[in-house]
Amino acid sequence: MRRWRYRPLQAAAVAALAALMTACAAFAPLYYRAMQQALTDITLSGATVIDTSVQLSMTPGDEFYDAGPLPQPEQLADQLPAAYRSDFHEPILGYAANAGVLPGGLTDPYGDLIWRSGQCDHLSFTDGACPAGPGEIAVSAADVKTFGLDVGSSVRIAGGTNQNGSSSVARLKVVGVYEQQVSDYWFGQSLTGRSGVVISTGAPAPPQHDVWITSRDSFDNALVDARSSSAGYLIDDDAVGVDELLALGPAVDDLAHRRPDVGVTPVKVVSGLPDLAHGVQEQIDQSRVTVPLLMAQLCLLAIVVLWLVLLAITEQRRPEVALARLRGRGRRGARRLLLDELLPITLLAVVPGALLAVLAAWVVPKVLLPGSVRFELGWPFLAALLASAVVLTGVTVVAVTRVAREPVERLLRRVPPRSTGWALGATDAIVIAGAGGIVVVFATGGLDGPIALAAPGLLAIVVGLVLAHLTTPTAALYGRRQLRRGRVRVGVSMLDAARSPATRRIIAIVTLASALAVFSADALIVGQRNRATAAAQQAGAPRVLDVDSNDLADIRAVLADIDPEGDELTPVVRVHPPGDDAPDTLAVIASSFRKIALFPGGGPSDALWDKLAPPDAEPIDITGTELDIDADDSTLTSKRVDNKLTPVTLGLDLVNQSGETLHTTLGTFASASAHRHFHHLVSCSEGCHVTGVWTSTLPGATIEGAVTLRNLTARSDTSPAQVVPLGPAEQWTKFYTRETGHVSPSSTTPDELTVTFQGQGVSPMTMQQRWLPTVVPALVAGPLPPGGSGNQFTLTGLDGGVQPAAKVGSLDRVPASEPNTFVTDLESLQRGRSVLATDRVQVWFGDDDPALLDQVTDALSDRGIAVAQTTTLRDIKRSYDESAAAWSLQLAALVGTVALLIALLVLVVSAVSGWRFRTRDFAALRMSGVPIRSIRSVAVAAQFPAVLVGVTAGALSGLFGAQLAMPIVPLFASAPEVSTLDLSAAWGAVVLAVVLSLVVLGAGSVIIGRALASRAELRRLRETL
Amino acid sequence: MKTTATPRATTGLRVSTQRLVHIYRSEGHEVAALSGVDLEVGAGEMVGLLGPSGAGKSTLLSLLAGVFRPSAGKVFVGQTELSAASPNRLDEMRALEVSLMLQGAGRNLLPYFTPLENVEFAQGAARRAGKELPDPAEVLAAVGLVAEAGRPLGELSPGHLQLAALAVAMAPRPGLLLADEPTSQLEHSARDLVLERMSLLNRELGTTVVLVTHDPDVAAFLPRTITIRDGRVGGEGRSGEEYAVVTPDGFLPLPLHVRENLLPGTLVRFHLGEDGTYTLVQEARDADG
Repeated sequence: MRRWRYRPLQAAAVAALAALMTACAAFAPLYYRAMQQALTDITLSGATVIDTSVQLSMTPGDEFYDAGPLPQPEQLADQLPAAYRSDFHEPILGYAANAGVLPGGLTDPYGDLIWRSGQCDHLSFTDGACPAGPGEIAVSAADVKTFGLDVGSSVRIAGGTNQNGSSSVARLKVVGVYEQQVSDYWFGQSLTGRSGVVISTGAPAPPQHDVWITSRDSFDNALVDARSSSAGYLIDDDAVGVDELLALGPAVDDLAHRRPDVGVTPVKVVSGLPDLAHGVQEQIDQSRVTVPLLMAQLCLLAIVVLWLVLLAITEQRRPEVALARLRGRGRRGARRLLLDELLPITLLAVVPGALLAVLAAWVVPKVLLPGSVRFELGWPFLAALLASAVVLTGVTVVAVTRVAREPVERLLRRVPPRSTGWALGATDAIVIAGAGGIVVVFATGGLDGPIALAAPGLLAIVVGLVLAHLTTPTAALYGRRQLRRGRVRVGVSMLDAARSPATRRIIAIVTLASALAVFSADALIVGQRNRATAAAQQAGAPRVLDVDSNDLADIRAVLADIDPEGDELTPVVRVHPPGDDAPDTLAVIASSFRKIALFPGGGPSDALWDKLAPPDAEPIDITGTELDIDADDSTLTSKRVDNKLTPVTLGLDLVNQSGETLHTTLGTFASASAHRHFHHLVSCSEGCHVTGVWTSTLPGATIEGAVTLRNLTARSDTSPAQVVPLGPAEQWTKFYTRETGHVSPSSTTPDELTVTFQGQGVSPMTMQQRWLPTVVPALVAGPLPPGGSGNQFTLTGLDGGVQPAAKVGSLDRVPASEPNTFVTDLESLQRGRSVLATDRVQVWFGDDDPALLDQVTDALSDRGIAVAQTTTLRDIKRSYDESAAAWSLQLAALVGTVALLIALLVLVVSAVSGWRFRTRDFAALRMSGVPIRSIRSVAVAAQFPAVLVGVTAGALSGLFGAQLAMPIVPLFASAPEVSTLDLSAAWGAVVLAVVLSLVVLGAGSVIIGRALASRAELRRLRETL
Repeated sequence: MKTTATPRATTGLRVSTQRLVHIYRSEGHEVAALSGVDLEVGAGEMVGLLGPSGAGKSTLLSLLAGVFRPSAGKVFVGQTELSAASPNRLDEMRALEVSLMLQGAGRNLLPYFTPLENVEFAQGAARRAGKELPDPAEVLAAVGLVAEAGRPLGELSPGHLQLAALAVAMAPRPGLLLADEPTSQLEHSARDLVLERMSLLNRELGTTVVLVTHDPDVAAFLPRTITIRDGRVGGEGRSGEEYAVVTPDGFLPLPLHVRENLLPGTLVRFHLGEDGTYTLVQEARDADG
């Protein structure tokens, strides 16, 4: 104790470093464990009750017709090995039976009759009470209303089987009307919602009733025959941690695959626990290296610092060691002298180190991890403490032995012999060669795996040591040169720095610490950035709402009402063609989609978006229920393959507001005619577009001739006749192929349209109106499908049909879409096509604004459109952030901060361990008449350049090391389907880390320098002790 | 300040050196600190090594303590040839027989111990070797430190610190005490006190004492002084008289005051007088030699 009191700051510094090293080592397993528990907690809390429970059931009829007696629920419950039952609440036992009301007519409902243990606690009764005796049932309020099953009423159903094999009739009396309480108790089963519902495949069928509840006695007394028995285990969240979950996964899996020893029918096991356990195990495996390696670098830094500090401290004790040797104590005695002082400090520091680790493991998870993380001190923690103690002992013994082994002659020198030349010491050379070799192998791709996380640290060690060795002679050289030039202050500062062994120490450590700080900051932000971009890619927009409707017109009308400019809302239709590999088509309104959709890394240019624009042509609109048209000067003829004439049918394609095409036949031409008038009823009361003129004939027959259409008139009972001009010819798209022939428009006035057909056996032949796109432009992510020609290809249209398309640009990625996706203009795709029920119609929000969501939801609801689901960027990002990979990287912030603190501690320790010598030097300068201000400058300048050099070298090492390490650092629990990986340096974080390093360490060195200068009193020159 | 006390050679060790040479080598330079020192110190003697700075006094002391190994020549302490002793034997010698007092009291004391604890520490190795030693308090009392025995070193005066250093050096009851400038940086009264205690121990315990000094007053206090000059024994003083010492190879270093009057190249001859004394006669030299 007295020795520690003599040099309290040194003792405190050593203790602090040893405690820090212990804390780093012991914190890693604690945090790793806390992370596992948090992962387990969010996995279990985010899963459905079906996934987190184990349901055992046996329904003999499912597998075998006659499989013996149905086991009791208790027997099923026993199938779960006893060792795992403590992970669950008491099993919920159950029976189920068919309850078809006799006599079984078309008005007699059928459904399930069940009993569950503890059921009365999970039902509310609006009338009557919970069934308690045999034959008593409780029914739903809907059944009361639908079937008149009031309390007191009774029904008859098929009952238990007699000994002679015939079924009896069971009379069930309604004793209560229940309401199901929402809870996990029911394993997600809904008891109601079926009352009165008829399920029919065509033939008349009776209605269903809701689930009826009865007591166990109904089954035990054989009043009814149980169809199945069941036992359900609800997981006990408080009892199940990561160990339990990981054990449960295989156990439940095993249970599902082995034949039970009750009866011969396999027990049906329903549980998602094996999958959950597998997912957790995968994430744990992923983080197994990240956490220890990050903390190991910190440990390494702490050990290196402790080693250097111990070297400095033992160096300072050379006179004491010399004294011990002069008193005949030998090397062993000298070593003991130092160990007696230093070893207790380092070993006792394990205790505060352990406490620090525990405190950090208590605080850090609260900040970084979700939920309330349980705190555990397991054997890895104790092993880490033991390992720390061993390492601390080793480091201390080696450092002490180094001095104790020196010859007395060297120990007695007032100034210890020290190399100030350019040559490297053997140890440094080995460390530099070893660490440098590993870094080179990393850089050349010779090594792989998470161990690459050590690259920044190793690189910094190499750079720091080399720089440290170069700096001392350089400073001496420079200092002498400055002195020769008469620049005393700079010269003395440089020589002071060159003379001090602390300079090398500071450069090496500051380089390493700054490298860790820069790498940590970079890794942290790169991780966050990549998770954010992956989430943005997956979400597509701040909020995406899937609507339960394919009425695109209504949906677009709602959106246009709320957001006419399309700044906040945009409709998107996702067409997924059959087949897993077929690319999706994403139909968007480019003008608003480009504002709302999230494009990590930048979206297409405006020019590219503009290429998606639909044909710039007005549609030919008609409104009415009756259509009239004149067909004049027809020369249309058709010849069969036997060269005989056959009639030609003429028609129009009309597209209603829903995009449905009305293939309307006008009439038939057997031969040329001068004038024909056609009148038809059409379903265009809401308006239709005239999208095509077509002719058809017998398959294989040719068509030739022309016809002039004019006086197209639409009318209805409520709207007057409206003459719609079909011309001019420019409104129509000429159709021509070598194989099929051509259809071409011409017109003499804008009101009429002459269509010339020359078909070579293809029927029908259609000429489309220009408003209808023939080939839609598309932006393409991924390769074009096979079978295309140049940029031409086909995609699946909204109606599921083939839509010719042309690639007008490429995209790296399409938001919220698979890697191979086509983006087209919704307006283009919508023209002439209706939306299939299998298409996903979505509304993308530019902002995750609950008020806007309510507004849209309400407006859609007013039109009878339900919302199927909503996905938010925030939720997806949270799912990425709440992963072991993310939590592991969060530690980087801690590592960077602690690294800087350790470096600061080194500055303090260096000052503390050599302050007597340095202040004596400064006192000598004062004695020589150097003013205190100059001495202060000299004191500050002696350390600050070393810090500056160290921070600069460290920043470069950290940056370069990050480039080596980041590709191997797991950023996600599982890689996103569409990669948005961007591992470029996070310059903001890097700059911040460098500035912080400079501020913390620079300010530290300045303060220390000034403090030393202030102690440069003349009495120091007379100090002997 | 003279003493006429005769040293008792009871437990003291005889010290002798033969043609002792020591060369310092550093970064390509070689400096001969000692170039053939022949020295004989009897058991129980108290001898002072004098000489100007850089003459090799401290080097000689370190060689006698076994801290340095000589470049050439031999060192005997008692029956042991230090220059050929193994490291273990040297440790044993330092534990039991030879004590070295370094220049500056602080360098001889563990700073966090009291004088008493320092003495205990200094006795440790000897005690483990089975040597019977007096109680540490007695050791301190022998140098006059009683009240100060348990006080922190920082509270002691320079004189007391030096006495504590002396006590520590004498703690294992060595046969040879080597002291490098034990009275430097001390005021006269403290210096006299330290010398007096050292002399007392020399007399009472018979310890051979070799101390380095360049203080004429200290030299005058000592019964025998040996002057080291240019790495050789340049003279000897006994009871206040200065003598030149003829080396084994017949050289006779001239005393400094004589050398000042004899320029290099001066021819001298020795003239044997009738009373048996030699007279140094300077011969005149003509210009052409």
